[in-house]
Amino acid sequence: MAKGRHRLRQRLRDVAAMAAFASAALSGALPAWVVATFGACWLLSLAGKRPFAARPALSAALLLVAALVLFGLAWRGVLDLLVAAGTFATLVTSQRMLAAPTRETDQQVLLASVLLLAGGAALSGEIWYAACLFLFGLSGSLALGLGIIEGPVETESWLPVRPVLAQLSLGMVFAIAGAIVFFVAFPRMSWNIASRRTGPGLLGGTAGMSDTVRLGGGGSIKTNARAVMRASLSPDPGVEQLERYWVGRVFDTFEGQEWRGHGTEGRLTARVKVGAMAWRETITQRIELLPAYESRTLVALETPITFDEAVGLTTSGSGPAMLAQLEGEEVHVATPANGYRYVAVSSEAAGPGPIEPIDRQRYLQLPRNLDPRVKALAERLKGSATTPKAIAVRLEEELRRRNAYTLELPGDVADPLADFLFVRKEGHCEHFASALTVMLRTLGIPARVAAGFFGGERAGGRYVLRAGDAHAWTQAWFEDEGWVRFDATPSDGRRRQTGSVLASLVSFYERLEEAWRRRVLDYSLIDQVNAVRTLVRPPPEARGTPKLSGLPSARSLGLGLFLAVATFLTVRRLGRAGPPRPHPAAGFLEAIERRLSDLGVHRLDGEPLEELSARLRTSQHPLAAPVSLAARRYLEARFGGRPLVPGEAPRLLAALARPPKSAPAAEPGAHF
Amino acid sequence: MSRFQRLLAWVRPPRQLSVTRLGWVYLVLTGGVGLGALNTGNNLLYLMLGLLLAVIVLSGVLSERALRDVRVRRLVPDGAFAGETFPLRYEVRREAGTAFALLLEERTAGLVARAFVPLVTMAEPVVVRADAVAKRRGPLRLGRMRVSTLFPLGLFEKSREFTLEDVLVVFPKKGFACEPDADVHGETRGDAGNPRHRDGTGDLLGLKELSPQEDARRVHWKKSAAVGKLLKTEHEREDRRQYTLSVDAKLSPDALDRACEEVAAMTRLLIGRGHEVGLEAGRRRLRPGAGLGQERRVLTALAWVGFDEGTRP
Repeated sequence: MAKGRHRLRQRLRDVAAMAAFASAALSGALPAWVVATFGACWLLSLAGKRPFAARPALSAALLLVAALVLFGLAWRGVLDLLVAAGTFATLVTSQRMLAAPTRETDQQVLLASVLLLAGGAALSGEIWYAACLFLFGLSGSLALGLGIIEGPVETESWLPVRPVLAQLSLGMVFAIAGAIVFFVAFPRMSWNIASRRTGPGLLGGTAGMSDTVRLGGGGSIKTNARAVMRASLSPDPGVEQLERYWVGRVFDTFEGQEWRGHGTEGRLTARVKVGAMAWRETITQRIELLPAYESRTLVALETPITFDEAVGLTTSGSGPAMLAQLEGEEVHVATPANGYRYVAVSSEAAGPGPIEPIDRQRYLQLPRNLDPRVKALAERLKGSATTPKAIAVRLEEELRRRNAYTLELPGDVADPLADFLFVRKEGHCEHFASALTVMLRTLGIPARVAAGFFGGERAGGRYVLRAGDAHAWTQAWFEDEGWVRFDATPSDGRRRQTGSVLASLVSFYERLEEAWRRRVLDYSLIDQVNAVRTLVRPPPEARGTPKLSGLPSARSLGLGLFLAVATFLTVRRLGRAGPPRPHPAAGFLEAIERRLSDLGVHRLDGEPLEELSARLRTSQHPLAAPVSLAARRYLEARFGGRPLVPGEAPRLLAALARPPKSAPAAEPGAHF
Repeated sequence: MSRFQRLLAWVRPPRQLSVTRLGWVYLVLTGGVGLGALNTGNNLLYLMLGLLLAVIVLSGVLSERALRDVRVRRLVPDGAFAGETFPLRYEVRREAGTAFALLLEERTAGLVARAFVPLVTMAEPVVVRADAVAKRRGPLRLGRMRVSTLFPLGLFEKSREFTLEDVLVVFPKKGFACEPDADVHGETRGDAGNPRHRDGTGDLLGLKELSPQEDARRVHWKKSAAVGKLLKTEHEREDRRQYTLSVDAKLSPDALDRACEEVAAMTRLLIGRGHEVGLEAGRRRLRPGAGLGQERRVLTALAWVGFDEGTRP
């Protein structure tokens, strides 16, 4: 009995240790050998092997050596200090798991696991951290509670394991709720300026801007729901779905298979101006490129004017980042980081501005082996249009009409453009953009391919762009207007394509992660102030009439009163467990009586069970022995402080159900 | 209880709280996590800090629930020997709810008793036994006892005290045994001084013709009538003596304890041999008697020697 109890306690302890380790390991910062070491030790502990139990001095010496080595590596800068600390906490936890299994050892394992959890908090920002934290809290507290009821002296007798587990589990639910309340309400002394940012996370990076746009293959990225960017706009459009183009980079050179950009990185600066400043109809964007973006190319709404206030977010904190402009409007961040924040200003004004001359030859370049049918098709599709802009508009409409949008494309083909225009007549945005750009060039109109995102989904006052929102379109140059956007892609193909189960799951995970980042990782004093303000004074649209008093609203007071009453009643109910319950042994007595009655053995009026047992012994009844045993155990359980152990009552009752066949028949009228 | 003691009792907090070694380490870790959270603004550290603090609150609430409705009754034995383990039982019951991991301890000086109760429900009182040891002889006035718990997590030990007035009679310590010089101290009792050794008051040995000048009270009249001559009964001679042991109650406490231990050992020895033992100790006097009841009376009297019944030892 005690062995099973100890095993349960140690299993719970091991689960807690694994949860703590997972919280740190999910960051990916811990070296692989540390993960392997902990995994091996954990499996050994689960199997009940304790190799360090007999060698405490040796294992302690090994631990000391490991501490010195890790300290040395951290001192020399080879290993991050936090990673070194997490590694050492892992080794301590592993060593204690394999030591002699005592209650003190369990406590040491759990304390070392708390260090691991702290390391996980510093190293990781994954949503799984919360699950690991709460799993650790639950299993660790259960393990400690089981150790406490065993008392100061080990005993083999029955102990109330289930009641303890039930009460502690309920208590931990309240503790977790309390932790959440503390998290929400405790004033933030630091505005999250030094928190570590996580890497791309479990799903990795997905949507970075590449140096080329290669035609061919499926557009798998269009089904990817990973959030790569968040932006708040000023003025706020206030719409749920933003139908806007976000440009990242442009490509001018087409080689038949892929588009390439060119240009060299300019000098580093904190602010980059890429377009003519407009004094009206500008929109300011505060953009955060998430780790899943995995690129240093900045993105802004078309047409960008300036990029400024760039901050790099790394695992060691955040800091200002330097910018560099490539030839054209493309802007890079020179400082490597997991994610970035910056401010971009774009012009929404249509019409001519200061137009700078361009190298026309570069934007009229055509691949050497261009299929001659492309030019012929362009000539045919332009119809009666004569001006460059009218030609572009006509070609855009014709392409959209003649060709269909699809993501189901075979592998590479020799001439993907000809395949798109003359064979399959379907493709994705890169095919449409390439076809329009090349056809415009064949007609002598300078054009280029632009890559970025299309759309934006409103979430919590900001717009989220996902990897599937990646898009490509065409920009044509006109002498009097400069670069003008044309998008031949059918409108239903511009946005993220959804449908598969996996995409839905990823989308769900992304929503969770987005909520996690917004509600937890980036929760700040400003959010607290806003929450209090919303609670005390609802937003203007929620208030029917202007309120002159500064007192909390009736809704807030009602909610607070309801929560207080609910909490009071719950605690009171927990404290007062209702009317007295019958003694557990009473049910056993009733079961004995029912069983004896079924066997034809009846108690006399007022005859106690022990007297019935004595009467059966006197008459040498075959049930005398099992009845005597059952009676004795009932009396011990009811009055002697030795409760029935689990499974004992059915066993005693089963003995009563099997009278030997040689049992004498009861005499007629005899009372047994 | 003096006015000062009543004031102290009134001022004393209803619960005492002490931090265990595990608790100290836990508090240090919690403080470290709190400092880290405040320093870095890392929200995950704030979340963890919230859980660590909530666990502390949970410990307080659950331990309070365990102690709040507990009632304890002490079941005092008739007596106990000083320096020897004796069973001291407690009846623990709950008026509501369930209590886990209760540790019962005596707070009376001179008595060590600890008992552990893993579970008490409101459905059933639990009788638990403590292996208690009283250090010195005398009437031990039991007062305060402490009920504590490490539940739920062992971070803190919360306790409350009960005042249960009882008196435990602590007999002199065993083990002071030496052979008594019966010829000097003992007095003959019954027929112990009869040289014939067959006219005692013990078991019947046989019948013998009555000699002249012998006590006619020993004649077995029925048998004598049957054989036609006077027959007397012969009985085993009883080798029983009567002792009256004395203790000088004016000795110093230590010397008095030693004297009582010696007398107690002597009493046990003599009564074990069938003699009668009486006691003279200060104002207390016991007439000689035999048997375990007399031994218990002598031990009880010895326990009280040197103590006034109205004062605390």
